[in-house]
Amino acid sequence: MAIKTKGCKELVAQVIETGLCTLCGACTGSCPYLAFHKGRIALLDNCSRTEESQCYDYCPRTYTDLNVISQEIFGTPYTTSEIGEVKDVVMARATDQIAIKHTQYGGAVTALLSLALAERTIDSAVVTKTLDDKSPSPFLAHTIDDIVQCAGSSYMACPVLGKYNQIHKDSNDRLAIVGTPCQVLSIAKMKAKLPENRINIANVKLVIGLFCTWALSPDKFHEFLKENCDLPKVRKLDIPPPPANRFDVYTSDGMTSFPLEQIRKFTMPACSFCLDMTSEFADLSVGSVEGTEGWNTIIVRTDAGADLLDRANKKGKLEVRKLPKSNLEHLKEAALLKKKRALKQIVEKSGSSDNLLYLGLSPELIETLLA
Amino acid sequence: MANIEIDAPGTSQLFIGNEAIARGALEAGIGFAAAYPGTPSSEILGSLAQVAKKMGIYAEWSINEMVAMEAAAGASYAGIRALAPMKQNGVNVVSDFLSNLVMTGIGKAGLVLVSCDDPSAISSSNEQDTRPVAKWLDIPLVEPGDFQEAKDMTKWLFELAEELGTICMLRSVTRIAHARGNVKLGELPTKKHKARFEQTHDLKNVMPTTLIPVPSPFRHFLLHMKLNKARDKFESSPFNKYAGPEKPELLIITSGSCWLYSQDAIDALKMRDKVGILKLGTLWPLPEKFVIEHLNKSNKVLFVEEIDPFIERAIMELAGNLPSDAVRPAFYGKRSGHINAFGELNPDLVIKAVSSILGIEYQARDVDYSNKVESIVKSNVPERTMTFCAGCPHRATFWSIKNALKLDGRDGFVTGDIGCYSMAIGPAGFFQVRTMHCMGGGAGVANGLGKLGQFGFDQPVIAVVGDSTFYHATIPALINGIYNRSKFILVILDNNATAMTGFQPHPGTGMTAMGEPTEVVSMEGLCRALGAQVKVCDPFDLKASTDTLLKMMADDGGAKVVIMRRSCELVRAKKEKTPYKVRVDANKCIGESCGCDRLCTRIFLCPGLVWDKKTGKSKIDEVVCSGCGVCADVCPQGAIVREAACLISS
Amino acid sequence: MPNKQLMKDPLNLIITGVGGQGNVMISLIIGNAFVRDGYLVTIGETYGASQRGGPVMSHLRISKNTQYSPFIPNGSADIILGMEPVETLRMLGKYGNPNVITIINPRPIYSIDVTVGQAQYPELEKLIQTIKELSAKTWLINATEEAQKMGSHMFANAILIGALIGSGVLPLTRKSIEPVLRETFPKEIETNLAALDKGIKLVKS
Repeated sequence: MAIKTKGCKELVAQVIETGLCTLCGACTGSCPYLAFHKGRIALLDNCSRTEESQCYDYCPRTYTDLNVISQEIFGTPYTTSEIGEVKDVVMARATDQIAIKHTQYGGAVTALLSLALAERTIDSAVVTKTLDDKSPSPFLAHTIDDIVQCAGSSYMACPVLGKYNQIHKDSNDRLAIVGTPCQVLSIAKMKAKLPENRINIANVKLVIGLFCTWALSPDKFHEFLKENCDLPKVRKLDIPPPPANRFDVYTSDGMTSFPLEQIRKFTMPACSFCLDMTSEFADLSVGSVEGTEGWNTIIVRTDAGADLLDRANKKGKLEVRKLPKSNLEHLKEAALLKKKRALKQIVEKSGSSDNLLYLGLSPELIETLLA
Repeated sequence: MANIEIDAPGTSQLFIGNEAIARGALEAGIGFAAAYPGTPSSEILGSLAQVAKKMGIYAEWSINEMVAMEAAAGASYAGIRALAPMKQNGVNVVSDFLSNLVMTGIGKAGLVLVSCDDPSAISSSNEQDTRPVAKWLDIPLVEPGDFQEAKDMTKWLFELAEELGTICMLRSVTRIAHARGNVKLGELPTKKHKARFEQTHDLKNVMPTTLIPVPSPFRHFLLHMKLNKARDKFESSPFNKYAGPEKPELLIITSGSCWLYSQDAIDALKMRDKVGILKLGTLWPLPEKFVIEHLNKSNKVLFVEEIDPFIERAIMELAGNLPSDAVRPAFYGKRSGHINAFGELNPDLVIKAVSSILGIEYQARDVDYSNKVESIVKSNVPERTMTFCAGCPHRATFWSIKNALKLDGRDGFVTGDIGCYSMAIGPAGFFQVRTMHCMGGGAGVANGLGKLGQFGFDQPVIAVVGDSTFYHATIPALINGIYNRSKFILVILDNNATAMTGFQPHPGTGMTAMGEPTEVVSMEGLCRALGAQVKVCDPFDLKASTDTLLKMMADDGGAKVVIMRRSCELVRAKKEKTPYKVRVDANKCIGESCGCDRLCTRIFLCPGLVWDKKTGKSKIDEVVCSGCGVCADVCPQGAIVREAACLISS
Repeated sequence: MPNKQLMKDPLNLIITGVGGQGNVMISLIIGNAFVRDGYLVTIGETYGASQRGGPVMSHLRISKNTQYSPFIPNGSADIILGMEPVETLRMLGKYGNPNVITIINPRPIYSIDVTVGQAQYPELEKLIQTIKELSAKTWLINATEEAQKMGSHMFANAILIGALIGSGVLPLTRKSIEPVLRETFPKEIETNLAALDKGIKLVKS
């Protein structure tokens, strides 16, 4: 494989057409050649660049040496830790009732972003908004009201980084980005190699990563929802923790459930090659708490993350507790399982443990995970 | 265009071949002319239409050549001399009517078909010699060798047609039709036309004036009689002439524009006293006695004609029937490979053939100069690929089509048709058009593709057609698509003109050939009445156009029509002021860097945009830019700025 | 003093440029002037799809006694009026010879091949020098510039006709051209005549 030539042609051949693309959106919004439409990334024309191509460089599924990324973000090598670099792990929930009403679990993301906006440590946030037709859409939130509107998960992949890329390069706005592990990885790659002709990456003051096992296909799953639910009445989607094995759709009339088996058909095939369950390169990673409704697990990874969480706690925006040991153990187990499964899938796809498709891992780690 | 109606007999005018033909028709006293625009024939009807009112005649742009030919025949049946000019493809279109017309015969008034071929397909989709049609359908055929003959032959042909009672054909080519030369004018008639259809229909009476081709074999026999009569006349026609020595070393037999090339070639080779040129003007039926007389002059004969070996084969057949002791010359031409059987000819190709046959060395110019200039040109002269004009709505339409097909992602494609938009097979239209045949071919091909769903076909199909082409040939295909439930999108490029051929009016423009306002046949009204789902878009609104196409592609329903409506820029510019002043903000332009890779000058390809290698930025060529402002919506950085021209002070 | 006779018979004049420049108009005006003066003129145009931006060449064959073909044979141009420099060089390649006379408007018009970066437009100074080396005599007439000073680049045509007349290579005088100009531009005749005179002046300076 020629290494010199790296452009959108290679991106399409190596990532999009091979089923590795997670629709993170990092390649869209910054040039006229790549665009997201109905559940796929389309190449509208051929860009003639063969090097220094940002679509290729920031894609989380082109070659990524996790050691390099880890050094960049944390100053340490990539370890065998199941849930990545950790300063602290807590459980938390928002204290504001309005926020709680709209959110998925504990409303922590909503509360943290609202605080950051209110105290003006950020000017806007790149988030996902669920539109009236219940499809997810990248959104640039400027007010607390915006943030509240964007609470809740659609479970479908959404190319939010495209929205980030569209922000004018001369903008001085300080940003927060909320994303899935693949999106967080892309941002980390941008921090490792500064982007050109885009907004300064240094403007990104806060990265909140979400826990993610897989994402659903935004066109196929949306079709399914449309055919099986009265979309205008849908209020919230939820996958309750095991052993529930259900996908719940809350409407204004009540709740409908689908067997999780039925929904699994719509998971993006690309997600099976992802090792990261907890957004390992974020400032804060947020997910649910198994067995405890209405709370979030928060992994604190950087000073920026720790400071914001601390302020949120002190100002009474978040109720923060220690995460019970058993929850932490279960979280690590699940995260490790995802790593092992994913690496196995990668090796199966590539045909050799010497070719990890897009991943650069230390040989020890590979050995551990494949054992 | 020149004034073909000048009343100045005996004076010399500079006419293009088409104007000369039109003038010949006027001098013959025609009352009726009908045609469909087709390069290189369009100026014949165009110039007649310009003077029609003044001259008291009727000239029409018909919806297609078939109707034009039939209409002209109608006039002939009513006693009005009529002319039907067309390009080679038009002859294909009228062939069914012709095959019946030659059986029936024409009316009392002469009817002449003028076919203008386009050797090398300079402005055509195909290359075709229409002279074999004369042999195929038994039609007397003439071919003018210069501009004077173009006029004189046309005039004479009406008399011939009336004498024989059958349609006669004149065949021209681009290099006569569009080239200019001296034409001495004749008198213009003063007789008034009176039209009346004599009802002589009587099946018991088999005289040649019946209008029905029955009984056909007998009428076929009568037709052969007519052609024999024509042949006799051709034996003594002044349009067949010989120039050269009594016993030339080489006899060139030629016709049409090739006569001029042969003369140029002989002059250049300085062989006027060694090579004779037999120019034939009356080609079919071949004046056999006249030809045989001249065949005896030399033991080497070279046939110089475009495009097919029409005369060559006829004369070889003739020679094959000579008595066994007759002297047969060696024949050179397309069969021997001395003259191409494809592409147009020119003096240099004739020079090459003659030099080769006679073993002459010929240097056009000093050898050192030749070598020097040829190597310089090879490395210094860039090509000029055709593209849409600055401000052309087709560029915007194909931009939206390209993006919509790519976003849709099912590997959809475009079937194309004939017009300026044919250029979308290349970079001008982003290589979108994948098939191209004849007028109406695009929608026809799409019909078939749209029924292949049962075989697993799922690619979106878009058929593009121009407004004039739509009226000309596409309506039956659209009806077929609706009736047979074929899945495709018909995109009509409505720039309100038959642009490629010179902006002739059509049923959508509300104007006739003679400049009179008339009913507009509403394109969307017609399509809706047929039962199609119709959307009208402004191609300059890239987002709306792309969204409309995407929606239609996602829709599994029946026939869909999108009308991309915006005036041709060349037409608009004549009537209106420039809408925008467009410029590139060099501070915002990021040129070749990641994020743009100079999209405007590398892919969008409007000739108004120029890439400055030195500064690494794009800029606007103010002379070429039409001020449409579409590029401002294409630039990913917003570096192209458009400001309403009326708001800018001087 | 302009020659009253053709330099040779036939006189082969090429007018070359890019579609939309007014090539055809110039050939028509000159052709008509010759016909009025009693010559046999054949004009062949190659404008193919008649597209703005594509190369256009007009071949004029002027003779006292024969109607020549609309094609000038290779290597046989006597005069080339080049409205665009690269097109002039293209013509020299096919029809030039050591005796050819060139009159050029040295303003480049870039094809999309050049803007795409697929082709290189030659450096202008060098291009002009090359044209000079390949001609017996060359005149540079900045017709577009001068025309823009007069109000529109459209007047370049009349300026170039003036240059042809003033150079003496054709047996045509201002008197031969004026009536044809009047017929062609009835509305803007004064400016066109001024442009004609400007061309005559420019070529003599």
